[in-house]
Amino acid sequence: MSGGIAVLLGLLVVAFVSSMLVGGRTIRGFGLPSGAEYLVLGVAAGPHGLGLLPRSTVHSFQPIFACAAAWLAFVVGLGYLLVGRRRVRLGRAVTGIFGAALVGAGVSAALFVTLDALDILHGFERLELALGAGFVGSETTRHTVRWVAERHGARGKLSDWLADMARASALVPVLGLGILFAVAPDAPLGAFDLSVRVGCTLGIGVVMGLVAAVLLGREFRRDESWGILLGTSLLAAGVAMRLGLAAVATLFAMGLTVSIASRHRLEIKYMVQPTEKPVLLPVVLVAGACVDFDSLPKLWLLVAVALAARLGAEVVRGVVLIALLPAARASGPRIGFGMASTGAISLALAFTLLVRLPGRASSAVLLLAAAGVLLGELIGPAELKRALEAAGETHAVDAESDVAPLSLPSSALHDSDFGERTSVSDFPEARR
Amino acid sequence: MSSAVAGSKDVWTRLVQAFALAVTVCMLFGATRLTPELKGELGSVAGVGFLLLAGTLLSELLETIGLPHLSGYLLAGIIGGPDVLELVDHHTVDQLSPVNTLALALIALAGGAELKVSTLRQVAKSLSYAMFLQSVLVGVVMTVAMFFLGRFTPFFATLAPVPMFGVALLWGVLSITRSPSACMGILSQTRAKGPVATFALAFIMSSDVVVVVLVAAAMMLARPLIAGSGGFSVRDVQDLGHELLGSIAFGTTLGLALAAYLKLVGRGLLLVLLAIGFGLSDFLRYVKVDATLAFMVAGFVVQNLTAQGEKLLHAIEQTGNVVFVVFFANAGAHLNVPLLRKFWPIALTLCVIRGLATYAAHLVSSRVASDPPVLKKWGWSSLVSQAGLALGLSMTIANAFPGLGDGFRSLAIAAVAINEMIGPVLFKLALDRAGETRSEEAEISRTSLMPPAQV
Repeated sequence: MSGGIAVLLGLLVVAFVSSMLVGGRTIRGFGLPSGAEYLVLGVAAGPHGLGLLPRSTVHSFQPIFACAAAWLAFVVGLGYLLVGRRRVRLGRAVTGIFGAALVGAGVSAALFVTLDALDILHGFERLELALGAGFVGSETTRHTVRWVAERHGARGKLSDWLADMARASALVPVLGLGILFAVAPDAPLGAFDLSVRVGCTLGIGVVMGLVAAVLLGREFRRDESWGILLGTSLLAAGVAMRLGLAAVATLFAMGLTVSIASRHRLEIKYMVQPTEKPVLLPVVLVAGACVDFDSLPKLWLLVAVALAARLGAEVVRGVVLIALLPAARASGPRIGFGMASTGAISLALAFTLLVRLPGRASSAVLLLAAAGVLLGELIGPAELKRALEAAGETHAVDAESDVAPLSLPSSALHDSDFGERTSVSDFPEARR
Repeated sequence: MSSAVAGSKDVWTRLVQAFALAVTVCMLFGATRLTPELKGELGSVAGVGFLLLAGTLLSELLETIGLPHLSGYLLAGIIGGPDVLELVDHHTVDQLSPVNTLALALIALAGGAELKVSTLRQVAKSLSYAMFLQSVLVGVVMTVAMFFLGRFTPFFATLAPVPMFGVALLWGVLSITRSPSACMGILSQTRAKGPVATFALAFIMSSDVVVVVLVAAAMMLARPLIAGSGGFSVRDVQDLGHELLGSIAFGTTLGLALAAYLKLVGRGLLLVLLAIGFGLSDFLRYVKVDATLAFMVAGFVVQNLTAQGEKLLHAIEQTGNVVFVVFFANAGAHLNVPLLRKFWPIALTLCVIRGLATYAAHLVSSRVASDPPVLKKWGWSSLVSQAGLALGLSMTIANAFPGLGDGFRSLAIAAVAINEMIGPVLFKLALDRAGETRSEEAEISRTSLMPPAQV
């Protein structure tokens, strides 16, 4: 049996375990919200650990996992405006985007100054490291809010705000990466203006999203829908990758377009949502295997600077949140730390950067993303729980209870076991 | 009134599909022309997406003129393939070989699971006569045809009569192969139920065993004729026995394990099927066991020795929907159009003779077996298709007889290409005419809501 097949089978096992974790009320809450355990597993199995995943094998699988990361961006885009059946409120979304941009800008600025002071990297590489680390570190994983809410039965205005902000924050890293790819010096569309390249990144996604929405619009037949969704997304991702553009941004735009333009947005969302973890966790594992601890001199100093900058920016975000939301005042500016959890999406984006622009800068970005995930895992859920407790929102509902999605036909519930897979936090209004 | 509304809605749907297909082609065409130097991995992702989307859309569009979905998938591959629009390059076509492996594993599993002992008992008489006559008559006719027509091909014109007879013998055996994938593809689309569908399934799936034995026997016979030296080897017979028994033993074990999994866990079947398709196929090749036969036996065991058959079939159907589109579209892209253009007269002649021989053998066997009229009339239609199995065997033969050069394989590819395009159309037409297709139920089945990730 070839090494590639063996690795593929190993990753299928990981995906199998992940798919088991997605559903089933018996093991809900099992595992960490960021998927950090898979990251550590990847590092342990990678070339810097036990060497079970050799560099050459990982390299040969990279395009597949870049595609997987793009699919995740599609899933995120599809659910970007929706929490369960409820639309994300505009004010909360703007706050979430602003907060993420603030954190990303803080990390980027701190790193840029440090790189300049230490005279590490020059030109585009320096920009790539500073901006890339800022972008991938700006997201707050939406799974943390859900995880804490489920474990502690939280419900209330603050939980809803934080859930909406976390969901909205995904826009910043995805679009940021789209711009970063477009300014890369070796882009195949280099003859065109930057605005054209960015426009193409999003335009391909919008066009294919409209195609998917129109094709799925008339009759929603699930088996055919899979062919159309996979076909349009692979085509969009493939064309974007071929043109040197960010497939993650393209597919995010595609997902968002489908969620806006298709009348079957909910059915599509519930159809693709169960694929997220089985795809995400193998990507995280491979990203872990690609982490390189020796890509740059004084790398650990850069890690420390990036993490300190993130925490500082989170305090500022906490202050902004207190000013906007009375329910957040009880916990003080530390509430920002509750938003420090970056998740598997950040790692997937950093991994995408490594595939598209392999080199020292992207390797360092991946390491910084991994460090951010571990730091976020240590402080994020605990601080979030503290904030929700201070706001009196924990133990508001029975965390074990499940509510079925009201919008889906009974046949859908019966056939797809959605009753088992959806959770209280997905349908906040149904609990009331 | 309502039918008029339905009719206009249908036209509108087809227009939307045609427009979407045009956008798909234009987008990939633009990207490939903007970056012609970029091939390989980066092109593969878009290529797979194109095959999947264009295959799905074209199959829907061709459905309006009564053609099977499979023809749409093949046509999408041919048009987008390396020899026409070059939207999918050779590298992508080669890269997709794991998808072919997976699809063939799923087809064999599904084929075995569709075979119920009770059904086999019903058609046992027809099956045994048909199997014998189709194997002997078609094999003999095609051997004779190749012996005479082979002289008109540039590869075999110079061969002496004895080696030429060896080549003709191999061609004769190759001609009795059928296409389980085409059969399953059409039956999966049409949900056909009736004597023609049952006979086709039972015959084509069980003929796989006969073909494996006959090909091995023909190669043993042809070797001294073509090479002019050597003889029969007991070792070859031993190897064949090992392969057959090993396949049955492994298939039985796999079937029981699958049934236990379906009963005890029953979730994550997509990933289990992927692991079986990718991992086990590779392993079986390594231990020299016939993967198609082993998977078919596994499906048969699950269906007939346990109560999990329907669950397995449902899971394969859900997984296969996407895999089969890519598999057939890739087969279309794999089609060597220049070669077909070069050899089409001789290949077409051989295909026509094979078709006539198949029809004649069927007439005789159905008369002897006293088949029902509908089976007498249409039973032959499923036996025209040839696809992966024939190509695989042609490669085996070409590797075993390097002296034949590429000629044998090239002619086989051209002939299989013709049968691959005509066969599914004939089978679908026959099922429609026999009244065995049930479009309403097929539509209902399409609304099943199990997402692949959770199958």
